Amino acid sequence: MELLDQLKEKIKERLPELDVVIGWEQGFDPLHATPLFMRTEEDVDRLVFSPLCVHNLASHLTGLKGKKVGIVVKGCDSRSVVELLQEKLLVREDVTVFGLPCTGVVSLKKIKHALGGLDKVASAEFNGNELKVSAAGAARVLPLNEIAADKCGRCQYHNALLSDVFVGAPVEAAAEDNYADVEAFQAKSPQEQAAYWRDAMQRCLRCYACRNACPMCVCRDHCVAQSREPHWMTQQDTVQEKWFFQMIHALHLAGRCTECGECERACPVGIPLLLLKRKINKEIKELFDYQAGTKIDATPPLLSFKVEEENINERGW
Amino acid sequence: MKIGVFICHCGSNIAGTVDVAKVAEEVGKLPDVAYSTDTMYACSEPGQEGIIQAIKDHNLDGVVVASCTPRMHEPTFRRTVERAGLNRYMFEMANIREHVSWIGKDKESNTQKAVDLASIAVAKLTQDRPLIAKKFGVNKRVMVIGGGVAGIQAALDCADGGLEVVLVEKTATIGGKMAKLDKTFPTVDCSSCILGPKMVDVAQHPNITLYANAEVDSVKGYVGNFEVAVKKKATYVDWTACTGCGLCTEKCPSKKATDYFNEKIATTTAISIAFPQAIPKKASIDPEYCIKITKDKCGVCEKLCPTKAIRYDMQDETVIEPVGAIIAATGYDLFDYTRYGEYGGGRYPDVITSLQYERILSASGPMAGHIKRPSDGKEPKNVVFVQCVGSRDKSVDRPYCSGFCCMYTAKQAIQTKDHLPDSQTYVFYMDIRAPGKMYDEFTRRAMEEYGARYIRGRVAMIYPKGDKYIVRGADTLAGTQVEVEADLVVLAVGAEAAKGASNLAEKLRISYDKYGFYMESHVKLRPVETNTAGVFLAGSCQGPKDIPSSVAQGSAAASKVLGLFSKDELESDPQVASVDIKRCVGCGKCIETCPFGAIEETDFRGEPKANVIETVCQGCGVCTSTCPQGAIQLQHFTDNQILAEVNALCQQPLVTSFE
Repeated sequence: MELLDQLKEKIKERLPELDVVIGWEQGFDPLHATPLFMRTEEDVDRLVFSPLCVHNLASHLTGLKGKKVGIVVKGCDSRSVVELLQEKLLVREDVTVFGLPCTGVVSLKKIKHALGGLDKVASAEFNGNELKVSAAGAARVLPLNEIAADKCGRCQYHNALLSDVFVGAPVEAAAEDNYADVEAFQAKSPQEQAAYWRDAMQRCLRCYACRNACPMCVCRDHCVAQSREPHWMTQQDTVQEKWFFQMIHALHLAGRCTECGECERACPVGIPLLLLKRKINKEIKELFDYQAGTKIDATPPLLSFKVEEENINERGW
Repeated sequence: MKIGVFICHCGSNIAGTVDVAKVAEEVGKLPDVAYSTDTMYACSEPGQEGIIQAIKDHNLDGVVVASCTPRMHEPTFRRTVERAGLNRYMFEMANIREHVSWIGKDKESNTQKAVDLASIAVAKLTQDRPLIAKKFGVNKRVMVIGGGVAGIQAALDCADGGLEVVLVEKTATIGGKMAKLDKTFPTVDCSSCILGPKMVDVAQHPNITLYANAEVDSVKGYVGNFEVAVKKKATYVDWTACTGCGLCTEKCPSKKATDYFNEKIATTTAISIAFPQAIPKKASIDPEYCIKITKDKCGVCEKLCPTKAIRYDMQDETVIEPVGAIIAATGYDLFDYTRYGEYGGGRYPDVITSLQYERILSASGPMAGHIKRPSDGKEPKNVVFVQCVGSRDKSVDRPYCSGFCCMYTAKQAIQTKDHLPDSQTYVFYMDIRAPGKMYDEFTRRAMEEYGARYIRGRVAMIYPKGDKYIVRGADTLAGTQVEVEADLVVLAVGAEAAKGASNLAEKLRISYDKYGFYMESHVKLRPVETNTAGVFLAGSCQGPKDIPSSVAQGSAAASKVLGLFSKDELESDPQVASVDIKRCVGCGKCIETCPFGAIEETDFRGEPKANVIETVCQGCGVCTSTCPQGAIQLQHFTDNQILAEVNALCQQPLVTSFE
């Protein structure tokens, strides 16, 4: 608990000059954490940090524009903050980043699968690399690597890339990400791929949870999905329109998506939305050698103009 | 909305493979179409009158003409609807000639496609809004970049036309490549004798400001109101004091400086004046070789200079020149023949470029006009010319013909015979390209009167043998291999884009082709304009050119500038980006992606917002595809207008299913 105490202390130090600090607190049951907006020292005492703190709190930042905001970030979350800063969607002076090292968060979907349901969870406790859960009267021990989110298995950035205050000892390990999941999906035939997505998009409710959870989706009231001016999409409940929306979402994130996976986590019908975005990120990486939110002073490739790109042979046709 | 549709026959150009009457009938069924007809020639006088009459008779709000490409007649029809009292942007054109009738023979599908295209235009027109051009003032000064013969001509013509001209030249003297030539084809008159007076005119013209040894640093602004930063590179000589007496150059002890003017066949002094007719005739110091600057010794020139003009501590200086138009006349550079290993790759002293040969031939050159081999100073007997070195050769990425090499090679062959009557010249050529006035006669003269032996074939290799060289090549007409013993080999090196041309293009925001030559606005009809308003081209920067063509283009560019400046105010194109301030979140992505610097950040009630400078915006649409909010829209090509077109095309079955 040393890390958490240090963090609380640091937040309390900075709190007087900040309007709000965003962190996590215990949610409605032992397995769920929930975002915490700290304004007083008593609020800070409710702060928690564990692999259950799955949320990317950077999603709240653009909504708090104009306020002095503190934010607690894991490595992956910090990429979103960096990207937002690069896109001038945040003012650097207004944001105080409390950076943490992170060894991975859980996937509640995987826990649900392992437990057969998430009801009646009485307790959940982390013990080294294991999660001890007692639910519906039975106790289970789940190894962390089995229930960790997919993104954590390929995490290259365990420590916050940007922080005003860094708490704890940095994690040394870094995995390699060779987009194996994208490659595997692409090995399928185009017909299979199309059928897969048609089936997935059939489930889409257009609830926009993916959009609302996305830290980079900043258009708010002017999202093209709902705009009449320009009137890009109808409100028709067809696979075509739903798919169209998801593709717009993915393309608007080209070169911007930091792969936090909030879209996929928020999706109530389990559409693997991150896969779409990772496919585009893979292309971006190959074409521009760029990963969103990893370098603080980089310019996102699609947000600049070059007469000729190094890796695109526009004249070779 | 009441829309009138006119389907043009274009004689039989369209009507031959499209059932125009049927197209008019089908499009006439669309809900917004109040009047639809076919017409023989929509662009003709009666055709245009018909459109005006229909607008008045049917009280139309907008017009669609389905005919040829809008590049051809869109301005025509815009004026037509304007004459009838409509806004000129309440007009749409469907191209059913280049996109339909000329490319397909199946009348039924052609007719269907023509209906589709006309319907798309109707759908777009329903979303069109009247747009009004804004007016802005013009700064009637012009900058010419490059002081070669094209730039000189353009500068003189503009200055004679009463404009203030700023001429910027990269080297210490104007004159460009032409100043290095000894004689010019096809008249074999002295190059400096015909260029010299023009150079003097530049120096003496009251309307011309000359910046030699200067380069364009940055270009801001737009047509009529550019601001160009010119970097005057340090010459270490105060040119206001220097009289060009040349005393310093005679006494300078550092004599190994690179002689760029003489194409490096000789060396020069660290302080030098390029050549006797140099304009401005001022000395400048090469800091790499100056003993005072490199070692802080010597200082001879400073002591000798009668006007005390030497400034060893001179720095580069930047001046801002406000101008209304820019003529780029940056010329060309020579192909680097050392890329050809088979020609020695630069190792053989007597294998030289054609421009080096010009300096050898020149009376003011380092050999005072006596042809001598650079290696041992002997007079050559056999001189071999190799054409197409770096021209028409895909293997070195130079597939184009440089155009003037055939002619100057013939000229050099003639001159060789004139200088050395006992000599024999050989010319290896691929084809002889002599399509100018008196050109072919000239090459015939080289062969018939001057005995130049023309061998049709490429040279495979050149290698030394004793103090001579063996030139081995094919004679494709005789079908044999030939070997010629040469004392001197002259490579007719091709032209390529000037070094740094692409950098300047980016500053000027003009496009350039794969080889770095600047792109004209239209290959045939707008040869000196660029796609950036107010920037014009002259000479070889647009593609290799000989002197007559460069001069002609210089004059042409000047006439375009004079035409542009004949108005006191210019109209901006209203088809530019515009920001919906409610949607803009002030992220500035559009500012960063705009290739023209046309978007600025403004403060709107304390919040940052994007603002389009309408006169700078070129309407490319990069910002509109960057803005995720759709807050920035290109007028006349808004998302809604384009979506209407897409919907017209993709949702057509819906319309029919309700029948």
